[in-house]
Amino acid sequence: MKRWWIWMIAGLLPLQALALSGEEVMKKSQAAFLYPGKDFKARVVMKLINKDGQERLREMTMLRKNVGEAGGEQKYFMYFFQPADVKDMTFMIYKYPAKDDDRWMFIPAINMVKRIAAQDKRSSFVGSDFTYEDVSGRDIEDDNHVVEREEKVGSRDCYVVKSTPKGADADFGHKVTWVDKANFLPLKEEQYDRKGARYKQFTADEVADVKGIPTAVKRTMKNLQTGHRTEVAYVKTDYDLGIEDSLFSERFLRQPPRKWVD
Amino acid sequence: MFKFSLVEFSIRRPKLVIWATVALVVLFLTQFPRIKIDTNPKHMLPENSDVRVWNDEVDKTFALYEDTIVVGVKNNAGVLNRETLGRIARITDEILALPGVASRDVNGFTTITNVTAEAGTLKVGPLMPAAPKTDAEVIALRQALFGNPLLVDRVISKDGKTTAIYVPLEKGANGAEIAEKIRAIVAKEKGPERYYVAGDPVARDTFGAEMFKLMGIFSPIAGMIMFIAIQLMFRNLSLSFTMMGVAMAAIILSMGTLIGVGLPVHIMSSMAPVFLMAIATDSIHIFNEFYFRYREKRNKLEAIRETMAAVSRPVRYTALATTAGFAVLLFMNIVPVQVFGGLIAFGTVVLRLFSFSLIPAILTFVKEEKIAKAAESESAELDRTARFLRRIAEVGATRPLATALVGLGLVAVAIAGTAKIHVNNNLVAWFKESSEIRIADTAMNQALGGTSLGYLVVLANEPEFMKRPEAMRWLEGLQRHLEAMPVVGKTFSVADYVKRINRVLHDDDPKFDAVPETQDTVGQYLFLFSMSAKPSDLDNVVDSTFQKANVWVQLKTWDAEAMRQVIEAAAGYQKAHPLAVTVKPAGIAYFNLVWNDEVLGDLVLGLGLALVVVFVILALDFRSAKWALVAYVPLLFTILLIYGVVGFVGKDFDMPLSVMSTLSLGMAVDFSIHFISRFRQHLVESGGATSEAAVREALLWTAARPGKGILRNALLFAAAFSVMLFAPLTPYMAVGAFIVSMMLLSALFTILYLPALVMLGRKHLFN
Repeated sequence: MKRWWIWMIAGLLPLQALALSGEEVMKKSQAAFLYPGKDFKARVVMKLINKDGQERLREMTMLRKNVGEAGGEQKYFMYFFQPADVKDMTFMIYKYPAKDDDRWMFIPAINMVKRIAAQDKRSSFVGSDFTYEDVSGRDIEDDNHVVEREEKVGSRDCYVVKSTPKGADADFGHKVTWVDKANFLPLKEEQYDRKGARYKQFTADEVADVKGIPTAVKRTMKNLQTGHRTEVAYVKTDYDLGIEDSLFSERFLRQPPRKWVD
Repeated sequence: MFKFSLVEFSIRRPKLVIWATVALVVLFLTQFPRIKIDTNPKHMLPENSDVRVWNDEVDKTFALYEDTIVVGVKNNAGVLNRETLGRIARITDEILALPGVASRDVNGFTTITNVTAEAGTLKVGPLMPAAPKTDAEVIALRQALFGNPLLVDRVISKDGKTTAIYVPLEKGANGAEIAEKIRAIVAKEKGPERYYVAGDPVARDTFGAEMFKLMGIFSPIAGMIMFIAIQLMFRNLSLSFTMMGVAMAAIILSMGTLIGVGLPVHIMSSMAPVFLMAIATDSIHIFNEFYFRYREKRNKLEAIRETMAAVSRPVRYTALATTAGFAVLLFMNIVPVQVFGGLIAFGTVVLRLFSFSLIPAILTFVKEEKIAKAAESESAELDRTARFLRRIAEVGATRPLATALVGLGLVAVAIAGTAKIHVNNNLVAWFKESSEIRIADTAMNQALGGTSLGYLVVLANEPEFMKRPEAMRWLEGLQRHLEAMPVVGKTFSVADYVKRINRVLHDDDPKFDAVPETQDTVGQYLFLFSMSAKPSDLDNVVDSTFQKANVWVQLKTWDAEAMRQVIEAAAGYQKAHPLAVTVKPAGIAYFNLVWNDEVLGDLVLGLGLALVVVFVILALDFRSAKWALVAYVPLLFTILLIYGVVGFVGKDFDMPLSVMSTLSLGMAVDFSIHFISRFRQHLVESGGATSEAAVREALLWTAARPGKGILRNALLFAAAFSVMLFAPLTPYMAVGAFIVSMMLLSALFTILYLPALVMLGRKHLFN
C-alpha cells in the first residue's frame, strides 16, 4: 500500500513542475514586457483622449537601461517634444525594486533641475491614464498571483492571472492579467477598484518584432469610470544600443545629447 | 342644457352615479404606487432651457460633478490633533468605499492634492496620505495647510476648528442613501467632534421627505379640520361625508392622472391635495342654498332641482374662473408650475362635474327628517351669522363714500408696501432655522468659503490663451476683485496652481507667489503639476485646450441676488481691465439666479394673464363690463393689501408666493361672482325695481343669505390651509398664511365693498 502512494506522488510531480505558478507567469511577463534587451529607445506618441473624443498630445523620446537582471534596478530618461511649450523638458527616473523611485525634472523655462518626490507609484504618468507602475512595473512580491484559467485573447493562448495586493494600503482591489503563453507579453489587464468594480483596462493593441524581441508597440489604457483613455504608439523602437550610464545624470538632463533624443 | 340633464340623471339614477364614481376612484387609486418624487431644483426649468444646456456643457468641459455632499467635521478644540485626524482618515476611507461615490475625486485631508517643497524636493500629492502618528507630523500638517492658500477655507477653516470632506457622486447615484450611510459612518466615531452632512443632494432629499410628510400627514389633517368645520356648520354627518367624499374623489382622480401619465410630483403639485380640498368647499354654496330651499319647500327632490338651478350659474362661473386662474400657469416657463396649474385646473373641472352629479345624487339619500332638523336654524332672519353679515353690508350700503375712501387710503399704504417687495429665492431658507440642514449650512458658511457654488467661465478666442501670463494675471485680479465682496467667501482658479508651483519651486520664497513672466514657464509649471496631480485638479479649472478657464466662486449665501452681484462685479472688472475674453456665469448659484428671474417674469406674465382672463369671465358671466369691474375690486384690493404686508414685513417674494398670488385671483374672485350673481338674481326675482331702497335691501339680503355661504366657504378654505402654517418647510407656511389671509380678507371685502360700490355706482350700473 505504502509503495503505491509513493508511486502515485512520484507520477504527479513532473506534471506539477510543468505548470507555471501565478508568480512565475508574472515574473516572466515582467521580464518580457519591461526588461527586454540591455537598453531600449523609442519615440513615444501618447494621445490623451477624453470621453468626448478631445485629444491632447504628448510626444517624447524614452530611453531605458537595465542595471541588473529582470526585476531589478532600471534607469529611465525622457525628453519631451510635445506639447510645444514643454519642448526640451526632460525627466529622469531611477527605479528601484521595493523602494521609492528617484525622479528629477528639468524645467527649461527657469533653467532648473528639480527633484520630484515619488511617494506614490500609482499616480498618473505624465498626466496619462497610465500610472508609474503601469509604465515601469509593480514589485511582484507586493501581490499574490494565481493562475485562474487559460483563455484565448484573439488568436493567442493566454494565462489569466489574478493578482491581489498583500497589503491593505493599495488603492486597488485586484487585477486580472491575460499573459500570452508563447511570448509572455500581457495582452490585456483589468484593474478592479476596492469596491470590486472594474475601473481600468489595459490592452496591447499591436505586437511587433523588434530585433527578435516581441514588443507591444501600440497599447491603450482606458479608465472605464471616466471614459478617459490614453493611446500609446512606439514610433521608432530599438534595443541594445549601448546607452552609456553617464547619460542618466543632471548634466545631460539639462543638455541631452542629440543622438539619443532624436 | 347638459348640466341640467346631468343633475336630472343623477337624482333619478343616484346609485349608478355613486357606484360609477367609486369604480373610477378605485381605478385611479391603482396608479398611486407608481408615484415618483422630483425635488431637484434644476428640473424647475425644462431640460432644453439655455441655462441647463450651458451648465451641462460646463460640467462636461471641466469634469465637474452635478452633486457633491459636503461632510463638515468640527472640533472646538481644533481638528489638528492625532485623535481627530485619525477619525477623519477612517471616515474618509470608509466614504471612499461607498458605492455611488466618485472616490477618485473625493477631496479631504487624505486625498486633496497638495503642492510643497521639502528639502529641495517638489512634492505633489495627497496632503495627508495617512493619519499622523506623532505630534511632529501634526505640526507639519498644520504648516502645510496654512502655508497653502489653496487649502485654507476649503479643507480647513482659518481658526483650525473645522474641516470638510467633499464627496462627489457618480451620475444617477442616490444622494439620500449615501448621505444616510455617511451619517452612519460618522455616528460610529465617539469623540468631541460634531459632524455636518450638507450639500445640494442632502437638501433636496430632505425636502423630498418633507414633501411626502406634507402630502401624507398634512392633507389628511386638512381634510379632518374641514370635516369638523362642515359638521359644526351643518350638523349633519352625511352632508359632511358627501363634501369630503367629493373632495377625496377629485383628489384621487387628479393625482392618479398625474402619476398615471408618468409625471413626477414636484414641490408645487405636492400641495395639490390641500388646494383641491379647499376648492371643493365651493360646493358649500350648494348645501347652503339647499338648506334654505328645503326649509321653504319641504320637498327634497324639488329643493335639489331648485337649488341646482339657482346656484348653477355662479358655481359654473366660479369653476370656470378657478380653472382659468390655474390654467394660465400652463403658459409659464417653470415646469412644476405648469404641471401644478394643469393639475388643479383638471381637478377643478372634476370637482364641478361632481357638483352637478355626485352631490345631487347623494342629496337624494339624505334622510328628510335630518335635513329638517338641521335646516331649522337656516333662516336669514333668525341666524346670528346672517344678521352679522347683514350688518357689515349695511355699513357699506349706507355709507358707501366713507367706506370707499377708507379703502382708498388702505390702497395707498399697500402700494407703498408693494414698492418694498424684494424678489429672492433662497433654497436653503426653505428649511426652518432649527432644521439640521440650515444648521449645517450656517456652520459651514461661517467656517469655510461658502456652500453655494458659482462658476465664472472665462472664454478666449484661441487655444493656449490661458497660459499667457496676462491671462493668468487677469484671472488673479478678477479673483481679488470678487473676494472683496462680502457675499464671496473663496475663489480659486488655474492661476492659484501656477502661483503655488512658482513659489514652491523657488524654495517657498513669498517673492515668487506670483504669475511667472513667460507663457512657456506657465506651460511647464502646469505640465509639471499635471504629472503628479489628480486629473480632475486641472480639469476642474481649465479645459484641455487652455482656451477656457473656470473660476470657482464660493458664496456665503444661497440668495439668488448674490450671484447677480458677482456677475456685475466681473463685468465691472472686465471694463476696467479689458482683455480679449468673455465671461459667462454658470453653476448652481447661477442657475438659482436665472430661475429667480424666471419666477419674476412668470409672475408678471401670469398675473397679467389671470387678470385678463378673470375679467373676461366676469364680463361674460354678468354680460356687462361694468359689473365685471365692480366684482374685480374686492379681489384687487385683497391682493394689493397682502403684497403691501409682504413688502412691509420684508419677507422675500419667492417662487411659491409669486405663484400663489397669480392663482389666488382665480379663487378669490369666486366670492364676487356668487355675490353679484345672486344679488342680481334676487333683484329680478323680487320685481326688478332699482330704487335706492330696493337695491339696498337686495344687497343686504345677498350679504345675509349667499353671504353666509361665502363666509362658510372662506372659513373652510382658511381652516384647510391653516394646517400648512404648521408645515416643516417655510414655503408651505408662507402659502398657508397667504391663502388664509386672502380668503378671509376677500370674503370681508366682498361683503363690505360690493354693497358700497353698487350703491355708489347704482345709476351707472342699472341704466
